[in-house]
Amino acid sequence: MPDSAQHGQPPALRGPDAALAAALTDRGGVSVLLTLDELADSAQLSVPLLEALVREGLLVPRVDDPPRFAASDGAVVTEGLRLVEAGVPLAELLDLARRTDAGLRAVAEHAVDVFMRFVRDRVIGEEADGDVAAARLVAAFDTMLPATGRLLSSHFERLVVEAARARIAAESDQGRTA
Amino acid sequence: MTRLRVMTREVAAGIDLTRQVPDRDGVAWLQAGDGLVGLGSAVRIDAGQGPQRFAVASDRWAALVDAADVDDPVGVAGTGPVALGSFTFTDDAAGSSMVVPTTIIGQRHGRAWVTTVTSDGSAPPTPRLPTARDLPPPQADRPRYAGASVPDLLWLEAVAEAVKRLTRGDLDKVVLARDHALWAKAPFAVAGVAARLAARFPDCFTFIDRGLVGATPELLVRRLATDVTSIVLAGSTARSADPARDAELAQALLASAKDVFEHRLAADSVEAVLGPLAPDLTRTGPTLLQLDNVTHLQTRLHGRLFGGSRRLTALDLAGGLHPTAAVGGTPTAAALGVIRELEGLDRGRYAAPIGWVDGRGDGEFGIALRCAELSGARARLFAGAGIVAASLPEAELEETRVKLLAMQSVLGDV
Repeated sequence: MPDSAQHGQPPALRGPDAALAAALTDRGGVSVLLTLDELADSAQLSVPLLEALVREGLLVPRVDDPPRFAASDGAVVTEGLRLVEAGVPLAELLDLARRTDAGLRAVAEHAVDVFMRFVRDRVIGEEADGDVAAARLVAAFDTMLPATGRLLSSHFERLVVEAARARIAAESDQGRTA
Repeated sequence: MTRLRVMTREVAAGIDLTRQVPDRDGVAWLQAGDGLVGLGSAVRIDAGQGPQRFAVASDRWAALVDAADVDDPVGVAGTGPVALGSFTFTDDAAGSSMVVPTTIIGQRHGRAWVTTVTSDGSAPPTPRLPTARDLPPPQADRPRYAGASVPDLLWLEAVAEAVKRLTRGDLDKVVLARDHALWAKAPFAVAGVAARLAARFPDCFTFIDRGLVGATPELLVRRLATDVTSIVLAGSTARSADPARDAELAQALLASAKDVFEHRLAADSVEAVLGPLAPDLTRTGPTLLQLDNVTHLQTRLHGRLFGGSRRLTALDLAGGLHPTAAVGGTPTAAALGVIRELEGLDRGRYAAPIGWVDGRGDGEFGIALRCAELSGARARLFAGAGIVAASLPEAELEETRVKLLAMQSVLGDV
């Protein structure tokens, strides 16, 4: 048994998996990291709001201990606050965010499972050369992640439009019969 | 000097009091089929503004009772002359008053009665049970959101600021509230809302007074002869449709140091007032009170008024207790200062005493929680949360969101 397993640590990754893991780490990396106060300052956001989002798991530090955030995280929160400015009460937005988080976690797990079983396993089986396999895996992931994001975004937007049309039609019918 | 003439007669019990509630100009205090419904107004007691508003109302009530000509062979709590009303949360707000209805329909412990009252010297009409009304149909239109006094984000920041001060040790607890304004295409029917509240929360005290309608689980004080009782609620959790999860949530509430601490402060504030008046005061709790949509921590305090304190009416006791730490905080003065500074809300009669007192001084006052102020097709809903140093602003925001939705669901489909 490897030493790492004996000590309760995951075994070190090798070959294509190590390359894929490195690509994932790089993807989370940013050149400038900010404290929560700095993030609030730079994005002109309320510290209590950011603290609440961190506790809710909706804003995740890029590194821990002490927690540091990317400047781009502030832009995402600002996007959320555009909904508040448009009239959605913050409490309702947080509720929506919790529901979205809970719903998407299962989808994300499943998407990763699909990638591992149908892309990674196949690539590793086809490529004897570890470097080539690693390059193919990283390339596949780099293609698939943004594509998945666009697919989800497009699908969700379509669902929202459909739901809104149905709701507006129902309300109009109620108005006619009232 | 106004002289009341009062006549009470027993009638057959089994009255559906919710069907006696008028849609306009009515007052009511209902619980589990019992209670009082008042129609019309023989005398209105304006309590004015200021910290003396309870004493002013009490003195005027005592003067009316002293001068009254009372024919009351029934002679139980709630018969004879009765005043029902509500008070403002803050001293400086207008709107505290009580009414002596021209007709009062009462029911308690298997007995029922009707009281008629005049204030112009004429003989009161023979008391008869009015014909039961049809309950208004459910609201044809759903209630719609129309904004809030304070945006959620500012309220979240206010809670965070309160937590900072609590952590610093400036105070132990403060209750911060917020509101939602609603509108509908048709006027809200007060009687229908009250009937739905009474059906959905039978163990709560359903109340109506001048457009304020609600169902409170919190009994500020009940005074029956020398017996005095208070039911304190503070600390709550949402319920789950899954019984196992529901039980877990309830046990977690009982085990929550934050909630138990918040609750203890509320019970302490009641004990501090009632203890000296009733030396045998007992305190039972916290136990769990499970309502339709929420589980509360509950403590019951009960004792017997001693010596000179027996002269205190239910109204006097309510005035002495308000505001408890369940709606204000601890210490009281510091908490009221923080509320005034951070809350940004005119509470009106929300979180303040509402109830009734009779000519013997018996009566019941609840704290106006889980309520709405209805005015035609407009409504204003309130919800509050007890904040302690361990509070999380987003959790308090969520707690008040759930409370507001629960009240909104009673006004109509949501």
